[in-house]
Amino acid sequence: MIQPLLSLRGTSKSYAGSPALIDAALDLLPGEVHGLMGENGAGKSTLIKILAGIVAPDSAQIMVRGQTVSIHSPSDSFAAGLRFIHQELAVVPSLSAAENIFLGRPTPRRAGLLIDWRRLNRDARAALDVLGITHIDPRIGIGQLSIGDQMLVKIAAAFLVTEETPTNAARIIIMDEPTAALTDDESARLFRVICTLRDQGGAVLYVSHRMDEIFDICNRVTVMRDGRVIASLPIQETNTADLIARMTGRQLDALYPPKDPLIDNASVILSANNLTTERVAGITFELRAGEILGIAGLMGAGKSEVLRALVGADRRLSGVMHLDGRRIGRGSLAKSWREGIAYIPEERRAQGLMLSRSIRDNITLPHLGAMSRGGIFVNRARERRAVDHLGQVVRLKSQGAAQIIRELSGGNQQKALFARALAAEGEDAAGGLRVMLLDEPTRGVDIGAKADIYTLLREMAARGIGIALASSDLGELIGVCNRVIVVRAGHQTESLDSANLTQERLLTACYGTNEEHSA
Amino acid sequence: MTTTITPPAPTKRPNSLGRLLRTSGTLIGFLAVILYFWVKIPNTFMTLPNWLNISQQVSMLAVIAFTMTIVMVMGDYDLSVGSMASLAGVTAAFVFKQNHGSVESTALGVMAALIVGLVGGLINGVLVSLVGIAPFVATLGTLTIFSGTAFLVSGGATIFGRDIPTPFSSFARGGIPVGMIGERPLLFPNLTLLALIVLVIVWVVLEQTSYGRRLYAIGGNSEAARFSGVRVRTLRLSAFLLTGLGAAIGGLMYASRVSSANPIQGAGLMLDAIAAVFLGMTMSEEGEPHVLGTLVGVLILGVLDNGLTQLKVDSYVREVLIGVIIIAAVTSSSLSRRRR
Repeated sequence: MIQPLLSLRGTSKSYAGSPALIDAALDLLPGEVHGLMGENGAGKSTLIKILAGIVAPDSAQIMVRGQTVSIHSPSDSFAAGLRFIHQELAVVPSLSAAENIFLGRPTPRRAGLLIDWRRLNRDARAALDVLGITHIDPRIGIGQLSIGDQMLVKIAAAFLVTEETPTNAARIIIMDEPTAALTDDESARLFRVICTLRDQGGAVLYVSHRMDEIFDICNRVTVMRDGRVIASLPIQETNTADLIARMTGRQLDALYPPKDPLIDNASVILSANNLTTERVAGITFELRAGEILGIAGLMGAGKSEVLRALVGADRRLSGVMHLDGRRIGRGSLAKSWREGIAYIPEERRAQGLMLSRSIRDNITLPHLGAMSRGGIFVNRARERRAVDHLGQVVRLKSQGAAQIIRELSGGNQQKALFARALAAEGEDAAGGLRVMLLDEPTRGVDIGAKADIYTLLREMAARGIGIALASSDLGELIGVCNRVIVVRAGHQTESLDSANLTQERLLTACYGTNEEHSA
Repeated sequence: MTTTITPPAPTKRPNSLGRLLRTSGTLIGFLAVILYFWVKIPNTFMTLPNWLNISQQVSMLAVIAFTMTIVMVMGDYDLSVGSMASLAGVTAAFVFKQNHGSVESTALGVMAALIVGLVGGLINGVLVSLVGIAPFVATLGTLTIFSGTAFLVSGGATIFGRDIPTPFSSFARGGIPVGMIGERPLLFPNLTLLALIVLVIVWVVLEQTSYGRRLYAIGGNSEAARFSGVRVRTLRLSAFLLTGLGAAIGGLMYASRVSSANPIQGAGLMLDAIAAVFLGMTMSEEGEPHVLGTLVGVLILGVLDNGLTQLKVDSYVREVLIGVIIIAAVTSSSLSRRRR
């Protein structure tokens, strides 16, 4: 039996009486990438926060290389050799990569006074090289690097070897959904670094919602549900369906509900002809009642920008758009919402939510005019009815409409955004909901909420609403859409109907045939 | 209550005592201050005439702070309100003077001042929402412009005496009789009444209308508000318009109370107004401005001023003390608001 680098026993934590983590146990072996999976609220975050010294456990036994350690603060955690990479990176954009690597560590100095730049850059270089990160110059301003490269710098920083940090420190790194904001290329580079770490005898605890990643890079996987560790097993002994079943505690026959065949003579709701903005060109399609139209493309190819053009967030330079046969002139976001075009933007926190406001305020914002007496005084009773009803429709889990939306999990926040879109439906809106424009609607959402969202999309389509869905998850596009248009470098290049929707066809279309990888 | 499903999932919510302390710490402190003055000044402090007096003293600040709340709800500031108050007062007085203080010029002067307030607010609004200058910088600029204009209009002098029409100056001295003190009637001051009316209007606008809800949404996340169909630029512009108008009303009230106008009389109002909004913000769960919180903030400043004056505390000491109280209130509420 190999001695684990990190092992955790009997770890429990409850908040105000409700248990978040119950008797959790976990072993992290040297030379392994260990996936940690579970729905939001399963206890992953609590476990990680305990390891990071941010949350004090009710009980816990933590051992690093067989030595019991006590972690009461982030500095205890650091001293024990634990390193963390979070989704949102804490970097100082105005400093160089090398300076960021040395952030929080003693800076090498000459005569104890002047910064020894040469040694600083050399040590930073060495820290990057050890992990095979050769394409980043440590002297470059970190703000100029992509998010993915910034993350690589942070990983190098985590394992910086200085006189104060002995080389034989345990190389344990815990990554919390590191790829959430990365492009595919950046993710690939990150995976190479993770493998390097693994091969050097380090251990990676890897939290992710993305099945393909788990199967690509993990040796073992631990599944959590309702605060308990359900299973820890070698990756060869499981598969996607099995993991989903363990995570949700129910058998998901299929993540994607069956597609309804399109009605041949369904009316065209939204049409675009040669739509052009500063960032996309030549967008042409017809969206029919009940149709789910996918928008595929590599990161940066212009998927989001297509939706932004449709909703009026970016100025339309040329081209024609029709809604229900009526021509739409120069659109604006306000006008789109009024006319029944609902929009869920890509960045849930930055563009979607007002985090400090209540669930109610977030849901009804675009429809306040229709929910007010004389368009002025908010009709709270009507508002409450609508929010309660929509909460049920989208299966929102909350403590009530007045709860601050920040407190919800990512999946429930996303459901609240769906509720906002759906609020255009029903008695309270003028025109009713006609079109939903969705940008990465399931990113960072756990598998249970994902299934809920797909079911919801089908329900909306069945009611004759047209849906345009931009996604970088090809499986999702194939599983949900009736048709997919592909954008490459800002231009619409192809339109694939249901019969032609395969992973290979889509990938080929996204990358293009003549090797113009523009991601 | 709603019918949405409540999960057993552990969301981290502070216990109710912590929550109570966090949001009512400022209010408790305020009551303690009142109690202190009540004990130290037993004969005069806790009397109706004194409270009516306090209400009149703070009425100008109150109007400006209430309307300041409107822009602060969006996370913006208007630093120009003080000099706008001066400019509005001087503008009215200038019109009065041109008409030799005739009674007929009263309405004309007041109208001119209000228009100046709206124009000033429009300038701020355009700079902030259309040109896109940070409110702090834009209104710092207009602060100086308005102040300079006030000097230009007044010629640097105080306009007073016979140049001020009687109806204008008697407004602030007047009120609704609510009782008698010996021979003299006890009045509920007109200025207080005016401040209350502004309070009600601002409260309705911010808390009961879709307009107010949208302003709070902008304050929560202006980008998300925009993507939800809120016309962020138009609303921001209009909010600055309202704040400018409020500043002009405050300036008129001040000029009426002292029966004169000079180009620096509004100078201290801006900092006090922002302080009052900050004090109010410590009373809300998410640290957002609410006009009723602002009211408490204004009263705290007014009561301190009144009580300390009666205790014959040096006015410089008073200023230090008020600064300390603001910092203490904001500190205690932000310490208890540490999240995650």
